[in-house]
Amino acid sequence: MKWPRVALGAFVALGIVELAGFFVSSRRKPDFADWAALVGPMAEERKQGELVVVAPSWGEPLARQALGDEVFPLRDVARPDVSRYRTALEISALGETSPELSGFRETGRREVGPFVIRRLENPSPAVVVFDFVDGLGPAQASVRTTNPEALCPWTTNARVLAGGLGGHPTFPAARFECAGGPFFSIGPTVIAADEDFRPRRCLFAHPPARGEVVTRFSGVPLGSVIRGHGGMYWIIERERKGAPVALAVRVDGEEIGRWEHRDGDGWAAFEMPLGAHAGKKSATVEFFVSAKNHAHRHFCFEADTR
Amino acid sequence: MSGVKLTWKDDLVAALLAGFVMVVLVATVGDLGYARDEGFYFHAADSYRRWFELLFENPRAAFEPKAIDNAWRVNSEHPGLIKSLFALSNLFLQKKWHLFAMEGTSYRFPGIFLAGAGVALVHRWGTEARGRIAGLFAAIALFCMPRFFYQAHLACFDAPIVTMFLLATYCFWKAMREGGYRWPIATGLAFGLALDTKHNAWFLPILAVAFVALCLVRDRLTGGDMKETLPRGVGGIARLVRAEHPTLKRALAALGAMAVLGPLVMYALWPWIWRDTFARLAAYASFHLNHEYYNMEFLGRTYWTPPMPRLYAPVMTAATVPTITLALFALGLAVRSRERIQAFLRARAGKVARREGGETDLLWLMAIGISYGAWVLPKTPIFGGTKHWMQAYPFLALFAGAGVSWLVSVLRVELRRLKAANVRRFARGPAAAMALVPVLLAAPIAETAGSHPWGLSNYVPLVGGAKGAATLGLNRTFWGYTTGAVVDYLNREVPRGGTVYIHDTAWPSWDMLQKDGRLRKDIRAVGAVHEAEFALYHHEQHMQGQEYQAWVAYGTVQPAHVAGLQGTPVIWIYRRKGR
Repeated sequence: MKWPRVALGAFVALGIVELAGFFVSSRRKPDFADWAALVGPMAEERKQGELVVVAPSWGEPLARQALGDEVFPLRDVARPDVSRYRTALEISALGETSPELSGFRETGRREVGPFVIRRLENPSPAVVVFDFVDGLGPAQASVRTTNPEALCPWTTNARVLAGGLGGHPTFPAARFECAGGPFFSIGPTVIAADEDFRPRRCLFAHPPARGEVVTRFSGVPLGSVIRGHGGMYWIIERERKGAPVALAVRVDGEEIGRWEHRDGDGWAAFEMPLGAHAGKKSATVEFFVSAKNHAHRHFCFEADTR
Repeated sequence: MSGVKLTWKDDLVAALLAGFVMVVLVATVGDLGYARDEGFYFHAADSYRRWFELLFENPRAAFEPKAIDNAWRVNSEHPGLIKSLFALSNLFLQKKWHLFAMEGTSYRFPGIFLAGAGVALVHRWGTEARGRIAGLFAAIALFCMPRFFYQAHLACFDAPIVTMFLLATYCFWKAMREGGYRWPIATGLAFGLALDTKHNAWFLPILAVAFVALCLVRDRLTGGDMKETLPRGVGGIARLVRAEHPTLKRALAALGAMAVLGPLVMYALWPWIWRDTFARLAAYASFHLNHEYYNMEFLGRTYWTPPMPRLYAPVMTAATVPTITLALFALGLAVRSRERIQAFLRARAGKVARREGGETDLLWLMAIGISYGAWVLPKTPIFGGTKHWMQAYPFLALFAGAGVSWLVSVLRVELRRLKAANVRRFARGPAAAMALVPVLLAAPIAETAGSHPWGLSNYVPLVGGAKGAATLGLNRTFWGYTTGAVVDYLNREVPRGGTVYIHDTAWPSWDMLQKDGRLRKDIRAVGAVHEAEFALYHHEQHMQGQEYQAWVAYGTVQPAHVAGLQGTPVIWIYRRKGR
């Protein structure tokens, strides 16, 4: 019989191959220390405002540790999507590429040790005229509730509150505080908004028990649409037990669109054409958030006009 | 590939194996932080320890219902045996005799002891059933499964139930194989110990009954040992027992002992159920039958409600158990199946067929099947860790041992065929095994050594190791135990009296690091990022919101420290700016 001999050889070979595989896979670059080698090359490659993406995504904490907040500003790390970026630098390891940038064109590459830095160009970048998350603040924004009618004052030294294990996102120090406690404050935060648990920077806007919470921006230059996303902490939303959250947008008093977020939608996009308001140099834009049952509605939205 | 009659030398080897396992585990335990569940069991064990102290000082007071209930109510959703051992180990080995350098090791030692005993038992069973090479290989192969190695360190129930499940199955096998009264009694006692260890023991009666049923079906199809036809109905079975049908007689003895002694042992060793027995047992069962969900990432998606993907358990087994061990399991299973099927067909044809008492292969295979079976049922709650079917691993290892035994016999045949006489002589004696076994164990040993202290982050080269698994979207860690891997950073960087958000680490687990002296006692744990100067983050897909909380609270996305396995981040730390 020949096959027992073949089996013997195969098992010996498998033992050796697995051992070799262990040494190869466990020593495969990059190691923790290797990420520091990116500091110089990234300083040379990155232009102001360029998005930096890491592939595979699990390497991003190491890239953030090595390169810091300047290369990875919060607004980029917790971006709504990549549509607004003209160019991006992708730090690629292990031959991986970012699915998020699959529509971008490669215009350059540079090898740095175990990494490849790829310069990528967005074939059709959106021109964002105004970002409402960036614009939140007393200079251009105000917040009020409709029932009862009350203004929500702006503060820069509110108590920062994080929900802990399984809890709410962090309420920042700078926020509009409405009656009813910190859950009813409007401020920029970051949520894990869908099944991928990706970070999304957005305005926390928990609907009130009655009526609506209205975030009003004035002096806003307009593009042709108001586009954005909304969602809530996926751990809450995935139960699919909460009431839908309604988001209505008014421009100079006219409602241009109404959008509803239902549990399970995840980080869902909306786009509302501005019609006759398109291209205005200065307009008042209001976001009305409400829900028929406000229990556990940790709603958070971002929007821009482009 | 038959077993051997055990001698004192085999017992010595088993004892040495157990001792070696315990020495290795105790020597490496200091690197390992405390898992979330360990924290809960420390708390329970302390409560039980106080009761034992009362028992030794004032037995009458200890047996007061109020004293029992107050002490044993803690963590009453799990049986008491293993936590009692944690408590007694802490009381005697640490508080009285100061055997260990760290307090936590005294709680962990019973689990370590039972892991050693489990490895020794695998050696014994493998040797007895499939020969010395098979027994030795199987024992080492079990110990060199990285996830088992990790669990074997812990003050948890998962390594203990592996041993207790194995012990009960072994005793049952002996009872079926040898008859008499000693092994059925041992089966009943071992079943009771398993019942009082973890609810995985509930599968043991199902295993035993199904096994006996299959044996009877086999006997009916082949004529059985006595070439008789199995009669129908209860009356027929009674006639069969009177006729001394050995399979049924032995099975009834073992099953009867399990039915009687098992619950008695459990009752005797778990004071919580001494009162309101049925209500408390019902609550215990209900807790596990209606278990709260866990979150578990599998191929990039977090599952949290049943059903778990059907492929979850097999894929995770393939991704975490050394591939050579699994391949040898498949070989052993194939070789044994071939032999058993041939014997079955011979018997069906009315020819003389070699029978093996205890139907070892069938029992091992069914033990594996029943351990995995729950994970393909549509209503099984999401648990997720490979530990939940770990009681199958000794049986995987035993089949792997059978595979190795067969390979050694092939090698011997090949050596005998060689012309060179000086090489041919290696066909006799242990030389062939000594040449082959290290080649087959090298990878499991290397992977297990390399996995420590990141056992739950470890994946085999088949999926690309830790990096490959991270890319595939397999769970990177859980239980918050990797805090133990960043204590040096915390001790160095946290200012005196500073605060740390401990994320998934349980409070008693954090406290134990401080009791051990591994973590500075002045560092204060807090339950929210905003209250802390440093925030731990143990990566799990569904916990990423925790990391984002730190970003906003501290105004930075830059971790101050990252640690993990093979260049893959597992735990990282954020530091409040300006601190």
